[in-house]
Amino acid sequence: MDSKHIRNFAIIAHIDHGKSTLSDRLLELTGSVTLREMHDQVLDDMDLERERGITIKAHAVRMNYHADDGEVYQLNLIDTPGHVDFSYEVSRALASCEGALLVVDASQGVEAQTLANAYLAINHGLDMVPVINKIDLPSADVLRTQEMIESTVGIDATDALPVSAKTGLGVEAVLEAVVKRLPPPTGNPEAPLQALIFDSWFDSYRGVIVLVRVMHGRLRKGMKIRLMSNGHVFDVDSLGVLTPKPVEIAELSAGEVGFFSATIKNVGDTKIGDTVTEDSRPAPAALPGFEDIKPMVFAGMYTVDSHEHTLLRDALEKLRLNDSSFFFEPESSVALGFGFRCGFLGLLHMEIIQERLEREFSLDLITTAPGVRYRITLTDGSVVEVDNPSRWPDVSGIEKIEEPVITATILTNEEYVGGILKLVEEKRGRQKNFEYATPTRVMLTYELPLNEIVLDFYDRLKTVSRGYASLDYQLAGSWESPMVKLDILVSGEPVDALSIIVHRDFAYERGRALVSKMRELIPRQMFEVAIQAAIGAKIVARETVSALRKNVLAKCYGGDISRKRKLLEKQKEGKKRMKRIGKVDIPQEAFLALLKLGDDPAK
Amino acid sequence: MLPLSLNTLGIYVSVPFCRSKCTYCNFASGVHSPALYQQYADRLCGEIAGLRRRAAEWGVEVPERVDSLYLGGGTPSLLPPHLLLQLGRALRGEFDVLKTAEITLECAPGQLPDQTLEAMLEIGVNRMSFGVQSFVDREAAATGRLHTRAIAVSDLRRVRRAGVRRVNVDLIAGLPYQTAASWQESLNTLMETEADHASVYMLEIDEDSRLGREMLAGGARYHAAAAPNEEQTADFYVSAVAQLERMGLRQYEISNFARVGSESRHNSKYWRRQPYLGFGVDAHSFLQRVAAGALRLTSAPSLDEYLAGAEGARELAELTPEEELEEAWFLGLRLRQGVRWSWLAERYGGGPAEASSGLAGPWRGRAPALQPFLPVVVELRRLGLLACQGDVVRLTQRGILLSNEVFARFLGVAAGAAAGVA
Repeated sequence: MDSKHIRNFAIIAHIDHGKSTLSDRLLELTGSVTLREMHDQVLDDMDLERERGITIKAHAVRMNYHADDGEVYQLNLIDTPGHVDFSYEVSRALASCEGALLVVDASQGVEAQTLANAYLAINHGLDMVPVINKIDLPSADVLRTQEMIESTVGIDATDALPVSAKTGLGVEAVLEAVVKRLPPPTGNPEAPLQALIFDSWFDSYRGVIVLVRVMHGRLRKGMKIRLMSNGHVFDVDSLGVLTPKPVEIAELSAGEVGFFSATIKNVGDTKIGDTVTEDSRPAPAALPGFEDIKPMVFAGMYTVDSHEHTLLRDALEKLRLNDSSFFFEPESSVALGFGFRCGFLGLLHMEIIQERLEREFSLDLITTAPGVRYRITLTDGSVVEVDNPSRWPDVSGIEKIEEPVITATILTNEEYVGGILKLVEEKRGRQKNFEYATPTRVMLTYELPLNEIVLDFYDRLKTVSRGYASLDYQLAGSWESPMVKLDILVSGEPVDALSIIVHRDFAYERGRALVSKMRELIPRQMFEVAIQAAIGAKIVARETVSALRKNVLAKCYGGDISRKRKLLEKQKEGKKRMKRIGKVDIPQEAFLALLKLGDDPAK
Repeated sequence: MLPLSLNTLGIYVSVPFCRSKCTYCNFASGVHSPALYQQYADRLCGEIAGLRRRAAEWGVEVPERVDSLYLGGGTPSLLPPHLLLQLGRALRGEFDVLKTAEITLECAPGQLPDQTLEAMLEIGVNRMSFGVQSFVDREAAATGRLHTRAIAVSDLRRVRRAGVRRVNVDLIAGLPYQTAASWQESLNTLMETEADHASVYMLEIDEDSRLGREMLAGGARYHAAAAPNEEQTADFYVSAVAQLERMGLRQYEISNFARVGSESRHNSKYWRRQPYLGFGVDAHSFLQRVAAGALRLTSAPSLDEYLAGAEGARELAELTPEEELEEAWFLGLRLRQGVRWSWLAERYGGGPAEASSGLAGPWRGRAPALQPFLPVVVELRRLGLLACQGDVVRLTQRGILLSNEVFARFLGVAAGAAAGVA
């Protein structure tokens, strides 16, 4: 198709501001799906995505639209992940578009996530159409929302489209605006092929499926292609578009979006942001913006039953087929046996992987407290990177420690600022900016150690703001900080899997809180159990789980021995789900006690 | 033929009727219309008459002679006299109930009319069990009991006067409003009644009773918030054990106390794995077979299902040799006399072991099946939960309070070892 009749666009919106509903309406209006198909196909694929209401993978759907000018346009809607953990994927999806719809809830206003992605879109030179959604709600305030878009995002919102995706009101105008107000792609179909990979996944029948936006040249069935970051060469064996049903086509040319498969076995080969070119007529350079994404958050994963260790390895390998952004390598713990050190893009990413392992592979997992990767300069001048507390060097050999730092943007209502300031100070934050986005909305910019974010920051922020604060962040270098290793001892024995790295000034308080949380989480045993926190040889906190006093089944109702046996078996089964360390049975959640400190209202 | 000790039978008849449902009750009994009593009794008599035919189907030999009969519930004393007599006739018609048999009837204080008492004596009842639970009026009332201390004491005196010399009193430790002092009051009253047997239970807090559910949920209905905590309940129990012992009621099982010679024959059959038959709603049977695994049978779990269903057992489980041995451990250990290695070896040993078995004791070389239990016993002894004296293994006082922890360790031991061999 002539590229003047193509529009590639994304939808930028905060969770619950109506992105999925609006996409569904657009698909419906362009006749791409029937209502009945809608439920099964259009909504986010993975159960997890549906349940959490978060898009984890990018998608691209092609629609044909008969515009008011009488012409037929090819509209490619590129869906973007909706969580800060996946901001690199978002940036690649945006790089595949010329424009975006900026969807804002008419009663909620602009949130931090929207703001971050809107800035990202502006930086990529995208044109934007502001859409004010949910105008059917009584609390909708279109004017105020318009003002807020102008003052925070900094774009003209006079022509913002008021819609209700739910009722369908005003949605037609959105399609017209996509055609009239967003630019068509530019690109030379005769130039050597340059196609941007913005997502890929493993399909058990066809191997790796790759979503691309062709910037220049043509991608054809049978073509020998080369991936520019690693030089790997493959033959394209099928090519198509999602409508959202997959439809095979013969060629994708400059400006178009689609998928291809090329007998690629390993999803790790098709890195997001890489450039696909023709092997016999390669482009002179790769497209800009490619990054090898690195995990930011690290944790150990173990099976409760140590015999299931190989099952965990198989499961991790299978998941990695579909998600090359997480990493794992074998590690072993004195307490937990053989397991894996895993690296994730963020905490949500970690939870998703953990949940999929438990759900899709029926594994009983123990995950250790998440941490970050430190850069440690030793006294002999050498530098090591450490993401596992059990590999922490001896204190005497440490010259300096650098920890990763992020810049966080928090948008909230005025009345919650006090609580949030207290929280970010407690989390060792340094204020960069404090401004009123509107007379009642405040935008805070802080530098914070990533280590503090991966613990309970999200939950705490939610609590102090009653949910009226949104957060976005990006990596912003590192700080030199006096970090120390805090060990936890159970019945006098250090449990390596419970060790954490904390800032020296917070070590005592963290130790006390952690030990007291552990006391709640570890059930009473047949003997007294001491739980201690220590820095080096120094004990900084101690709690005791008193011995279990009684556990008796008194009655024997009419000689019902089978019931007795069942009850005993149930108890035994409950124990099996715990990890026995020494003589003490420790439940899975105790290993993540650190994440639960914020639950404590007393704190 | 089965060994003589296994050749007498215990019979349990379940009567699931109550005048009110106590808040702590997790049994299959409830409040039903008296109109159903006759129908239920007819059903029971039919089941009793058809027993031998069904036993042949199951492939079991049911012992002829009955040395224990137990009418439990529920509240069997709610059955009108003519139905008690009807039941008595049906049982004696089908079984050889020995002259020396222990015949027990459960009863709620205040719910025993004179005619019922007479009918009871006529069918041969020589032992009564009173569900008192507490002699403190406030505690009894809070859990839905319909009697007072005065009524309970007077009923106990009345049955003794009528010639029933063996009397049991049930008490529960851990009821709402119970204190050390009120518990003491219940114990003292128990002593004054001169009962020769007592059952002392600690309140079971589970999902199967209203009070249990409320306590688990942390609520206040059913006076749940007024219940003593686990520590206090354990203290009450421990003090009961000591005091009852001093007053001549010796603990012979975790929850059971009796004067020497007054131990309940019926309950002992459960712990000793001697055969018993259960009739009625949610009744349980245990029967030995020659050269085959023992059977456990369970009847319909509710009155509706029992009255609606075909006669006979609903569930029938054949025990593997491993399960039999594990049962022998966790049931036998409930008794104060404990478990004897030699006795287990004789009954469940599994044939000659290799000479290098490394086991100690008089059963050396005779019991490979027992071998996997040795490390379990050693560990539990180290934890102070089991005591070993020569051939005998028994629970310590702490082991009694933590008996579930102990018993659970015996599960899967024999089965695991058997799987390992295979």
